[in-house]
Amino acid sequence: MTESNASTMTIDAANAAPERDTLLDVRGLRTEFQTARGRVAAVRDVSFTIRRRQRLAIVGESGSGKSAMAMSIVGLIQPPGRVTAGEIRLGGTNLRELSDRKLSEVRGGRISLVFQDPMSAFDPIRTIGSQMIESIRVHQSVSKRMARRQAADLLGEVGVTDASSRLSDYPHQYSGGMRQRVLIAMALANSPELVIADEPTTALDVTTQAQVLELLDRLVTDRGAALMLITHNLGIVAGFCDSVKVMYAGQLIEESESRALFASAAHPYSRELLKCVLRTDRRQEGLLSTIPGTLPDPTQPFKGCSFEPRCPLGKGNPLCQGVEPPLATVQGPHGVQLAKCHFAGQLELKEDQ
Amino acid sequence: MLNLILKRFGVAAATILGASLFSFFLLRKLPGDPARLVGGELADEQTITSLRQAMGLDSPLQEQFWNYITSSFHGDLGFSYTIGQPVSELVRTRLPATVELGLTGVATAVVLATVFAAIAVYRKKKGADVSLRIASSLAMGSPPFWLALVAILLLSVNLGIFPGPEGRLSPSLLPPPTITGLYTVDSILSGQFGTFFDALRHLILPALTIAVGPFAFLSRLFRSQLRNTMREPFIVVARSRGLLRGSVFLRHAVPNSLLSLVAATAMLLAETMTGSVLVEKVFGWPGVGSLTVDAILQKDFAVVQGVILLSATLYVTVSFLADVVYVVVDPRIRAGAK
Repeated sequence: MTESNASTMTIDAANAAPERDTLLDVRGLRTEFQTARGRVAAVRDVSFTIRRRQRLAIVGESGSGKSAMAMSIVGLIQPPGRVTAGEIRLGGTNLRELSDRKLSEVRGGRISLVFQDPMSAFDPIRTIGSQMIESIRVHQSVSKRMARRQAADLLGEVGVTDASSRLSDYPHQYSGGMRQRVLIAMALANSPELVIADEPTTALDVTTQAQVLELLDRLVTDRGAALMLITHNLGIVAGFCDSVKVMYAGQLIEESESRALFASAAHPYSRELLKCVLRTDRRQEGLLSTIPGTLPDPTQPFKGCSFEPRCPLGKGNPLCQGVEPPLATVQGPHGVQLAKCHFAGQLELKEDQ
Repeated sequence: MLNLILKRFGVAAATILGASLFSFFLLRKLPGDPARLVGGELADEQTITSLRQAMGLDSPLQEQFWNYITSSFHGDLGFSYTIGQPVSELVRTRLPATVELGLTGVATAVVLATVFAAIAVYRKKKGADVSLRIASSLAMGSPPFWLALVAILLLSVNLGIFPGPEGRLSPSLLPPPTITGLYTVDSILSGQFGTFFDALRHLILPALTIAVGPFAFLSRLFRSQLRNTMREPFIVVARSRGLLRGSVFLRHAVPNSLLSLVAATAMLLAETMTGSVLVEKVFGWPGVGSLTVDAILQKDFAVVQGVILLSATLYVTVSFLADVVYVVVDPRIRAGAK
């Protein structure tokens, strides 16, 4: 790998050719929260695209802005949060320019969401069936009876036994894993083109996690939908997604194919994250790995690289402290990777020093 | 389930017994002699003694209490010496007036409170919310009897829109035949529409006066409940399924928030029916409240005891009904009750 390969190219240049199968194109997305201590940017000028049928993972620690980004895409960021800049193009339309009514047709229609906590995702005093039927009939003009049949089919498909009678059950009569299956069924009810799953298995116990992921995998594949999986669990990403974007302090700091990321992460933060993954094929010595320090205080103005204070390579480096690194392309052994780091492409060199 | 019902009945019986025990002994400890009140100031000692005997006041307290309890089981609540009627009869004729007034007042309060609180929470502009909070603060701070006086002065004496404090009907009208005891209902059932409108006109002012306090309380409760519900995860999830803010609000936020009003409404109902003593007095409303005032002033033990017993029964009944409503409307409790 030569110096010139690692030289800085902007992401616009890297993605210059507008790919025909681009599904979602996010440009310069910025989401801010008005707090008592001033405006805080949760998502800072994020740009990326999702292709049809792509499986994209967004990885980052809690508070890195993953969920805020997801909610911003569908226009559901709750006050005092607000999307302040950027374009979110789905097909030809910029979702930010749509009225709430028009955007409602997209939500649960072309883009649907699966949330983290299945226990609190349902209206506790309405039956599962009525909530599923409601979701179907918001988007499709079908009779109640037809919608009920569809709902029963969906429940059966996600592995709820005795589906048509369980439609009359209330959420509290379902277990956590079953509720998450129902949420997935609802998310897929209107044949979405993109499913955004925000930590869909975090609240479940480990044995159900795998089953729910498998289910999500199968249904998304069957329907030809794209999947954006938001997670802090790199273990899930490995077997599940084509490409990974690593988020840190509201920015995307690395974009790689999954294989490339696991073989040779291009950003120091990603490398540190990978060290934290528990692996059964390797003997773990001593304490579990952690990344020292915490996310930067978002109320303070950002200067230089946001990872600098915690970075094993750049800590104390005047360049990292003073200048925000561009998103650089790196030609790694497993293809092109993007990393927002001054030393992108030279990590091995730096580590040896 | 059966166990639960038995337990509820046990608690209910204990509450009623406790209330009657308390009222019985407290009233007996008051200074003054009821026999003297009945006999009058000029009655000689011998008349008073025989009166005490006739009223059962000469036997020991525990015996008096035992007599009282056993006879109330037979529906005999004693005899009012000031009015000259059995207490049970008095309660029977007076209770419907109080029930009609209390039900109308609380129902009005519930409707207005939910509507205004819903608007205040739903509107993104703060104006409605601020007005509601000011209105409910004012309402909470206004004593009902004062409101009653102001209302009469303004709306019936000065403007003449509503009738004065003449009770449930204009003096020229006969009450409708007794079916439920509620004049508005009975007059409609028997087709006397003239009487209905007259009864309604008489009902509006006192009912509104009674509604003010519950409105203040319920609107605040419902407002905060709605705001909390709107922050629940399932609301955002419903939005993410494609529902508009309005549909999420009406179909999910409002029904869930209404659940919390049931218990509060039940308590307010019991409270207005037993506590609107002064409002009834001011409006000349021939209910249990005005009966109570007179009985206390005249030391009519039997009546006061009867009214306290009635209050306790009302509270117990209403809170039991609230539990039943919860079982019906909340699937989680329904499941637990099975």
